[in-house]
Amino acid sequence: MTPRRPSILLTGLLLLLSACAPAPATSPLASTSAEPSASIGASPSSAPTAAAAYPLTLTDDAGREVTLDVAPARIVSLAPSNTEIVCALASCDLLVGITDFDDFPAEVIEIDKVVTMAQVDVEAVVAAEPDLVLAAGNELTPTSVIDQLAELGLPVLTLYPESLDEVYADVQLIGAAIDRTDEATGLVDEMRGRVEAVAEAVDGLDRPRTFYEVSVFEGTIYTAGEGSFLASLIETAGGEPIVGDTLSTSIEIEDLVAADPELILLGDASYDPTITAETVAARPGWDAMTAVRDGNVVVVTDDLVITRPGPRIVDGLEALARAIHPDAVSG
Amino acid sequence: MRAGVAPRPLVRGPALTRAVVVLGGAGALLLVALVAGIGLGSVTVAPDDVLRVLAHRLLGIGASSGVSPSTETIIVDLRLPRVLGAMVVGAGLACAGTVFQAILRNPMADPYIIGTAAGASLGATVGIVLPLLVPALAIGAGSSVLGLGAVQLLAFAGGVATVALVIGVARSGGRLPSVTLLLTGYAVSSLLAAGVALLMFASGRALAAIFSWLMGSLAAVGWLDLAIAGPIVLAVFVVLFARWRSLNLLLLGDGPAANLGLDVGREKLRLTMLATLSTSAAVAISGTIGFVGLVVPHLLRLAAGPDHRLLLPASAVLGAALLVLADLGARLAGGIPVGVVTALVGAPFFLFLLRRSRRVVSTMPA
Amino acid sequence: MTRVAEIAGLHVSYDADGARRNVLRGLDFEVSEGELVALLGPNGSGKTTLLRAIVGTVPRDAGRVSLFGRDIATWNRMELARRVAVLPQSLVLPDGFRVAEIVEMGRAPHATRWFGSSDADAAAVERALADADALDLAERHADELSGGERQRVLVAMALAQEPELLLLDEPTLHLDIAHQAALLASVAHLRARRGLTVIAVLHDLNLAAAHAPRLAVLGGGRIVADGPPESVMRPDLIRDLFGVAVDEARTADGRRFLVPRASPIANEPSPRRGGMTG
Repeated sequence: MTPRRPSILLTGLLLLLSACAPAPATSPLASTSAEPSASIGASPSSAPTAAAAYPLTLTDDAGREVTLDVAPARIVSLAPSNTEIVCALASCDLLVGITDFDDFPAEVIEIDKVVTMAQVDVEAVVAAEPDLVLAAGNELTPTSVIDQLAELGLPVLTLYPESLDEVYADVQLIGAAIDRTDEATGLVDEMRGRVEAVAEAVDGLDRPRTFYEVSVFEGTIYTAGEGSFLASLIETAGGEPIVGDTLSTSIEIEDLVAADPELILLGDASYDPTITAETVAARPGWDAMTAVRDGNVVVVTDDLVITRPGPRIVDGLEALARAIHPDAVSG
Repeated sequence: MRAGVAPRPLVRGPALTRAVVVLGGAGALLLVALVAGIGLGSVTVAPDDVLRVLAHRLLGIGASSGVSPSTETIIVDLRLPRVLGAMVVGAGLACAGTVFQAILRNPMADPYIIGTAAGASLGATVGIVLPLLVPALAIGAGSSVLGLGAVQLLAFAGGVATVALVIGVARSGGRLPSVTLLLTGYAVSSLLAAGVALLMFASGRALAAIFSWLMGSLAAVGWLDLAIAGPIVLAVFVVLFARWRSLNLLLLGDGPAANLGLDVGREKLRLTMLATLSTSAAVAISGTIGFVGLVVPHLLRLAAGPDHRLLLPASAVLGAALLVLADLGARLAGGIPVGVVTALVGAPFFLFLLRRSRRVVSTMPA
Repeated sequence: MTRVAEIAGLHVSYDADGARRNVLRGLDFEVSEGELVALLGPNGSGKTTLLRAIVGTVPRDAGRVSLFGRDIATWNRMELARRVAVLPQSLVLPDGFRVAEIVEMGRAPHATRWFGSSDADAAAVERALADADALDLAERHADELSGGERQRVLVAMALAQEPELLLLDEPTLHLDIAHQAALLASVAHLRARRGLTVIAVLHDLNLAAAHAPRLAVLGGGRIVADGPPESVMRPDLIRDLFGVAVDEARTADGRRFLVPRASPIANEPSPRRGGMTG
């Protein structure tokens, strides 16, 4: 790019002047609740048939109130779980921006990536001209990014389900946002049904003390945190989860040995081939655990769906149930 | 000896030429950096379009900006504040670095050396972690006081408070010995860094946010941040520039400077607090970006000489230009923290400087 | 004769190793306008402390110190810098500056313009360089200079202050014999030319005797001898004060100097000597 000289001088002059001029307090796009101006986002042609639904004000998981004036036609998803929900609601074609971690369903691979290595490229999000952005909570999408997008006038819904009920609620939320409430209800009902089936199948059975290994890094063991989604899933699947610290999700080896798991589920075996029942049993101190002595160390291949709080979380629950109660729950 | 060989003070003769060349060069670089910084990124915008958009949005010239609305948003709401933020931070850090090198008479002095970085880091980390540990403190989404995040305010307060503490400890009998200041700063910094590490350990999910802050980033700089940090950095620069003579005198050493009428203890205190204000304002909006405050003054001393009448403004301009370019590099490299770019480029360059010229180190007074 | 400096009953002490050390104990001292006085005494006798007391940079426990007729406590730093210049021991100069720029820093107490320098400043700098015999160094860079050249620059910087009183704090410490003599000769010359009053702390008795018309010797926290070299440079006084026996000698042209007879350390028992390396 070779700028022509007069442009540089003029640019410089204007930039100097712009620095002196009072900073534009808010750009015309900067109101979250006013209608998005005829700039980014709203495509006039997508006026919904059920006109009464919009404008719509929703409250997201972070407590923000977000108003949508028309049914979104261009959606950016900042988390794989959000992408899966959108697609499960038959709206895959509305996605114009996703993350590089999104891998399901297969058709999303071609969509532009606006998040790379967990870094949100705000410019790319803006360039995609979305009229709805689905962010992730708990700093998975940094709050500063959410604030920035909101200030630019983009409707941002932050989703952070920490239980099955909250997943249902988020599916309903997105369903409401994109005018797919029927599909959302259907999906939730189906999910509920399957969850109830699992609960019935394990009802009354002994609950083994279950340790789910998320990862082990440099001597620190990560597992389900106390009160976490994963812990509740294990419970629903008929196990008694051994939990780690709420915030750091780590557990000291001594505490783990003291808790004495009867069943060890190796979540990290899903992507790390070096994690096997044998290598785990060989770890110093681990042979003190009942699970290791009895050979109840199970490789888990479904860690992705177990930990992704989207529509396939039920697949994850079922996988957990099969691992915990293989006799009671069939594939 | 020859009569009338008037020794030419700075503003006459070849010194003036040098001043023009240095300032002009740095200024030209800044202009190029601004154009590139605003035009390049995920979306490339030609300089003419940049011009048109700015003219339209900021000066009301022209019926429309001539580019798509999203491009316009990108230029005015994303790139412009970010580039201006880079200017403010770069200028603030370079100025502060220049001043600290004069006060401490130490070539390794950077704006953070007496505790600003450690204090600001602790403040920011507390601001990030506390709402997670104590949910009652999460004052709604965004957690803003007057639109400024708690993180920025705590970072600023942390930086200033730490330096005040260090000065308080190092000061004795109205004097502020440079070595004591340095060592106290080091000790306090280490202590606070341990606090940061502890909080990082307990932070869980917020670890990424903390780390990103520590590495420094201009991604979240908004107009409000600029409206507050900008005037602070500018005001500090003006006051420092007005005190150029004190800065020059300090290079002679505390004793000789005092004999020439300078209240050395009080002046060092004043200069330290001013430089700290500038640094804290910069760090509050961008996190701890390294190397700018260290390398820019050294670079310029080679080109511009140690006289602060030229060194200080030149540092500000060059610091601004370099950080805009570094931020551009960070964006083009995929959104990595700008502190990584300044370290990756700054460190080898500094080593190169050291090899090329012995004057880098000897230019510092002993 | 105007009194430039008047000191009466001065007591100065400071803390060292947890104890209070009395350096000056009821010292009386007077210097009149135009004098050149050399301050002498053993290490630690308080010569530098006395200099500092004259300019008020060291707190006094008791006694009176007046400069140009006014109590030193009433002076502010700038006033002082306009009338008193100090030539330091150290020859370190900040690198990167031209000599002219460094000398110009000496104009700081008088500076009227905020940014540049006035014609008066430029003239003073030129005069100072000329008087210090350093005009040829004006455009040189400080880091290129030899020790003797640096000394001349420092003298020029002191002269640029246009002082009435010049204090020298062992300025010959880092100079070779030729430069030592040159410095003191030029100081004496300047004293005449600019009407300076000079107080010089020196460690070399013979050098002082050769250049200063008045010697003041410190011992036990007071001035124990004060007068022209002939009266002060007495072997018995030197022996009592410095702990070394000296012999008097004369040059061919009649100048008198003192030569130490033997090192006092050589008479000490060996354990101390054995403790020395090399």
